[in-house]
Amino acid sequence: MKGYQGKILRVDLSNRKITKIETKKYAEYVGGHGIGSAIFWDLCKDKTIDGFDPANVVTIMGSPISGTITPSGSGRCEVTGIGVQSYPIGWYTRSNFGGRFSGMMKYAGWDGIVIEGKADKPVWIDVRNSDVKIRDADGLWGLSTWEAQEEIWEVVNKSVTKDGWKALSSSRDAGFTTQKPAVLAIGQAGENLGRSACLIHDAGNGAGQGGFGGVWGSKNLKAISVIGTGSIETDDPNALIEARIAAKNNYAYNFDDPKVGWNRFSSSPTLGGFYDREEESRPQSCMGCIAGCRARTASGLGSESSCVETIFYADFNRRKFGKQTRDAYVATDLLQKYGINAYEAWRGLEYLEKLYKLGVLGPGKEIDCPLDFEQLGTAEFAEEFLRMTAFREGIGDDFAEGFVRAAERWGRLEEDWKTGILVYPYWGCPDHMYDPRAEIEWGYASIVGDRDMNQHDFNGLYWDPTKDILGGKQPYLSAEEVTKVIAEKLVPFENNPKMLDFSLENAYSEDMAKLVSWTQIYGRFWKNSVLFCDWRWPDLYNPNAPDNSGLTGDEGEPKFLNAIIGGNMTFSEGMETGRKIWNLDNAIYTLQGRHRDLVKFADYIYDIPYDGGLMGSYYLPGIENGEWKYIDTKGRKLDRDKFEEWKTKYYKLEGWDPETGWPTRSALKTLGLNHVADELEKRSLLGKE
Amino acid sequence: MANEPKKSSRRDFIKISSASVIGLSLGALIPGGKWLENEVYAIPASQGYLLVDTKKCQGCSTCTIVCSLAHEGKQNLSLGRIQVQQNPFKAFPDDIKIDQCRQCAYPACVTACPTKALHADKKTGVRLVSPDKCIGCQRCMEACPYETSNAAWNHEDKNGHKCDLCLETPFWKEQGGPNGKQACVQVCPVNAIAFTKEIPVQAGDGGYKVNLRDESWKQLGYPIS
Ligand code: SF4
Ligand code: SF4
Ligand code: SF4
Repeated sequence: MKGYQGKILRVDLSNRKITKIETKKYAEYVGGHGIGSAIFWDLCKDKTIDGFDPANVVTIMGSPISGTITPSGSGRCEVTGIGVQSYPIGWYTRSNFGGRFSGMMKYAGWDGIVIEGKADKPVWIDVRNSDVKIRDADGLWGLSTWEAQEEIWEVVNKSVTKDGWKALSSSRDAGFTTQKPAVLAIGQAGENLGRSACLIHDAGNGAGQGGFGGVWGSKNLKAISVIGTGSIETDDPNALIEARIAAKNNYAYNFDDPKVGWNRFSSSPTLGGFYDREEESRPQSCMGCIAGCRARTASGLGSESSCVETIFYADFNRRKFGKQTRDAYVATDLLQKYGINAYEAWRGLEYLEKLYKLGVLGPGKEIDCPLDFEQLGTAEFAEEFLRMTAFREGIGDDFAEGFVRAAERWGRLEEDWKTGILVYPYWGCPDHMYDPRAEIEWGYASIVGDRDMNQHDFNGLYWDPTKDILGGKQPYLSAEEVTKVIAEKLVPFENNPKMLDFSLENAYSEDMAKLVSWTQIYGRFWKNSVLFCDWRWPDLYNPNAPDNSGLTGDEGEPKFLNAIIGGNMTFSEGMETGRKIWNLDNAIYTLQGRHRDLVKFADYIYDIPYDGGLMGSYYLPGIENGEWKYIDTKGRKLDRDKFEEWKTKYYKLEGWDPETGWPTRSALKTLGLNHVADELEKRSLLGKE
Repeated sequence: MANEPKKSSRRDFIKISSASVIGLSLGALIPGGKWLENEVYAIPASQGYLLVDTKKCQGCSTCTIVCSLAHEGKQNLSLGRIQVQQNPFKAFPDDIKIDQCRQCAYPACVTACPTKALHADKKTGVRLVSPDKCIGCQRCMEACPYETSNAAWNHEDKNGHKCDLCLETPFWKEQGGPNGKQACVQVCPVNAIAFTKEIPVQAGDGGYKVNLRDESWKQLGYPIS
């Protein structure tokens, strides 16, 4: 089993029992989410429990590429378990974070970690190679995610040092390291069972969705620390090194000759953020990344945060001061320290501001809230808002429930979903900026799944042309060109550009069902199981390649995996495993109570025309009057009945029962999931053929 | 053993160390090693050196991992001969430190090795370990004057090891060493590692921790001075 360490750490917090699971037993799922779901299936006997139930099983999984030189993926890590964020049910869910945790876990000799039960008092788990201890977290409980990590570094790094190298045991044959342990910790938000609480690693890597911070809090688990000195056996080292060098030379950002074009894998190492990066800074990346997407700064503020963590407060801050100030960084850092989901904080705060402007919320108002909205945009306001949320202070107790549950407590949910002032379109999860009325596949994949899917496979088809068009430029690739290049890569539905037709006419088609299916199975396997990074993969189009055809395909993802584990897995075989994992997940949702009748968007998605989002216009490729063009999706809304018809098409495509959305025995059987079908049948939840 | 040091006292060693600071082309002065004044036999200079830009590095550790992969055929952060240490809570540029072997003109590790396992390669001058001669005393680690010793302990093979500029990479087919390629240089995504044949200034860090940030870096909005 090259690429693996052969064992998964199993920690039962209730009984303080530490055992091992043989990775081999689950190797058909390869890693990450797939193994996580399979272990969850086996170990979580009653899948209808609440996420806060001690019997919830949480997995933290690496993959064969973790800790290797595979570009943009080797530092990613997958978390699974029953979540507490989604609404009305805390679905079995997933979250993914970067940094160096998964690599360090592998060097310590573990392919993953499984957490069961609940400790009788706060603890942390200390992993140093094969030496695993459950330690008292008395001195850590109450600390921020950053403080807790620094404390743990101190404890672990007290080990013997030799000429700048630290020994992990008194035997020199246990090896030396120069590294700090990689720690995954919860902040005060998690300790107080926040449904929007995250797991945070280093300064800015967070498993933000699902509320796993709160789940850890309910288990009295403050942190897991891993450090190791072991090796990852590799099947064909030369092939792996050559593949990495070729990826750098032929597909990555070319410093000597930067190509003007649309980038993804080929992006430069710059902050993917929404606030202005401090000039005195460096790019910063996860382990093995081909181009970092974060920064570390000379002020020490805002380091390692990117994307939504940077958008969370930037706009409020700019509005207050007319320009962005230091307060935006301070607010973002507070988010990381308390360990709060940036999307909940951002969309939630927008919602609170709207209620304030409506005169409904404020000091002494119908919803009595002490926050002074005249100060919105200042660091002080952010501190108060986030502290209230983290500690459940006063109305912060409602905020900590997530803003859909808060709206429900305030008796406003139905109305605010109707008018759309509460932009939480699917499963009570905040909108990602990529509205279902515009970026159809994002919305659909989220609603047939378990959460805001946060998978940017096709999202560049919005950003890239929209920026070009609004900037008065001819789009780098025409709608026809880019959809053709991409369609070639959409195995097993390859060469069908109509899958990328985002016109409203096509929104309810079988082609759109195929796009959603592709998204789910690519995501379930290559992204969440093998752990290729969502930000850089798939590489569908790439301006460095002569024909703009990116690295994704047999010469891409599988090439790295095969060089590590051996064998000749094709891209398409990986997709089949993705389908298997996707079916397994759906069987879990079904056991939890999923039925097609629940699968619907918040009312505003059907009733209110889309406002065009962040840039005011939201262009996507589509066919209009028989011709490919970029269509502005602003002003659109979805049709309820047609969406219902689409669901039927989608379930049929997956081989599931269109009446219920439940997996069928034949679909499960062809994937080798007969035991899953048996369990569904036992509970009368098997889909009809 | 014409290329091995015959004798050298600590005093002579220091004397020549400081001489090397003045003459940048020490390698040329003592090609292949020859008798110098007061009977010190110099170790031939390495024909190549690794330089790093700690302000450019993105902290991905790819260099460290590929080093162990090319040499041991396994991926292991502890076995990489170039080490990158980070503190995510420190401000730039103090958040990253890179330790790479300097192929010192007067290598304390070579001098300290009791069995000549750590020696200068005859052809290239690269300081490297012959594992079969290594008795595991770890004196090279102790002798390396840098805070994180660049001579390190390979706990799997149980011998000392250090950067050989990829002269011997059983698991990477590319020709390495001073006349070939170095795996870490090849993979670094931001080109924060460079190779040179010119002997760097030996005193202090300036010769080895360099500025590799050019116009292309500036265009990304990062500081270049
Ligand atoms: S191991 Fe240390 S002493 Fe030896 S050549 Fe490298 S830097 Fe110099
Ligand atoms: S030059 Fe080769 S041996 Fe030296 S640190 Fe780089 S990869 Fe390792
Ligand atoms: S490969 Fe380059 S960017 Fe990555 S850690 Fe090494 S020197 Fe830094």
